[in-house]
Amino acid sequence: MKKCVLAVLCACLLGAAAAAQSKEIHIISANDIHAKIENFPQLAAIVDSMRAVYPNLLVLSAGDNRTGEPLNDLYEIPAYPMVALMNQVGFDATTLGNHEFDSGQAGLAKLISLSNFPYVCCNIFPAAKWNMHITPYKIFDFEGTKVGVVGVVQVGASGHPDSHPDNCTDLGFTPVLETVQEYEWLRDECDVVILLSHIGYEDDVKISADLPWVDLIVGGHSHTQLEGGEMHNGLLITQNVNRLQRVTHITVTVKDGKVVAKTAENIEVEGYPQKNKVVEEMVKYFSNNPAFQRVLCQLEKPMTSYEELGCMMTDAWRVETESDIAFTNTGGVRYDSLPAGPFTVSDVLRLDPFGNDTVQLELTGQELKDMLIATTNNDTYGFPKVSGIICNVIFDKKNPSKIKDVVITNPDGSKFNLKKTYKVATNSYTAAIADSPRKDQGRSLNRTTASLIQEYLEHQGKIDYTGVQRVFESVSKK
Amino acid sequence: MKVKVNRTVVDLFEGAQVRHALLRYCVRRRLGLSRVEGAEVFDAYGHRIDLDAPLSEGQTIKCKLK
Repeated sequence: MKKCVLAVLCACLLGAAAAAQSKEIHIISANDIHAKIENFPQLAAIVDSMRAVYPNLLVLSAGDNRTGEPLNDLYEIPAYPMVALMNQVGFDATTLGNHEFDSGQAGLAKLISLSNFPYVCCNIFPAAKWNMHITPYKIFDFEGTKVGVVGVVQVGASGHPDSHPDNCTDLGFTPVLETVQEYEWLRDECDVVILLSHIGYEDDVKISADLPWVDLIVGGHSHTQLEGGEMHNGLLITQNVNRLQRVTHITVTVKDGKVVAKTAENIEVEGYPQKNKVVEEMVKYFSNNPAFQRVLCQLEKPMTSYEELGCMMTDAWRVETESDIAFTNTGGVRYDSLPAGPFTVSDVLRLDPFGNDTVQLELTGQELKDMLIATTNNDTYGFPKVSGIICNVIFDKKNPSKIKDVVITNPDGSKFNLKKTYKVATNSYTAAIADSPRKDQGRSLNRTTASLIQEYLEHQGKIDYTGVQRVFESVSKK
Repeated sequence: MKVKVNRTVVDLFEGAQVRHALLRYCVRRRLGLSRVEGAEVFDAYGHRIDLDAPLSEGQTIKCKLK
């Protein structure tokens, strides 16, 4: 009888010892936040409550923390509000998304220097002159349980992430899978290995087949809403749609140095009932951004028509992109008058508020003409506003809403060459709705059209568009 | 860059997002452009993606316009 009791006691003690060896690591992961600073009070409350329950908590971002919110992107130090808020929430690491490069190399280096968390990315090799502190991996130690995080960023066909090429010069990038494989040794050093990825869901699934030494991929870039996480080739993959609508809570159970279970669930951020008051006050502070009232140039005489403002906008796009011609859908010009005096950042953002990217195309004169007509047919506001050309639009007498012809001339009145190829700048909305025959669909310059207007006005110092008109309309005689 | 929206192939500029594919799709199918903003969009795996999501050459997406 005594032996029997002893055996049961031993079994209980062994069971307790085995249970003690099992440890849970918890992760809150966000991706593609795109500067949705309004949701940070809720995110901070979620992280606070998780930390109270789970001391072994990692807070990770899979990149594209910035870009998409003027309050953040146009701050005195561009995107600083995001960094300050991520510091306050207590992020443990982020990888680089393609939009992290949007304020150039020096801008990124500045943001990294202001961050209390590391930037983890293995396939970037910045030139020393940028003084950019990026680490390929980071090992976190939770009371003896080691979690290795290796980061990776998307590399496009151009050999760099999808940002403006000027933002990526002197930053070397290497192929994703080959570079990640160089960190297989993390498996020997760590109990848990995480790939913090900004390459998109479909590529995460593809590379998972070649990464049996990784436990989970915390993903971003493609804004894919997964229900918790998905298992592919033995790896757990997670991702959410953008702008901090949701985060993922991942639980990894480690026993005897091995991952024995991994689960993931989504947490709604936007609808979360609690807010962190300190973070809420920070968001209020950043929302009163004095940079919006910054004067870009002086408007010498009032602007009094969509035509004048459209001419100014398209001049900005043409000049700042070094194109021959620029045009915008008229619906993209959002007001028709502005008093003389200071022209501020706020005025630009009201004029061009959609966050459209700039698209540059190489078009023959004929292709341009077709594109202008196609834009008119799909934009209810009429014929586009133009720069670099003069347009005489002739409507059909029998059907006055239909364009019969467009006669284009050069600004000096000389004949426009329909066979010559021109560099043309427009916005991404117009490039999408103008469904006309052309060889080149163009490419995004990864710069918003509003940012080009700001630069143009700053370069001009003062402007006067009184009476400027480049589109003339008439009705055919027949 | 060619992208398939439902069964329609659309040709778009490099760097286009889901929103631009849907705009071109609506133009091609003579549907109102205002329907794009409320659309539900899914990737080839059936996962929901948002209108700002980046696109790549040859990608297939499906949309339900409202």
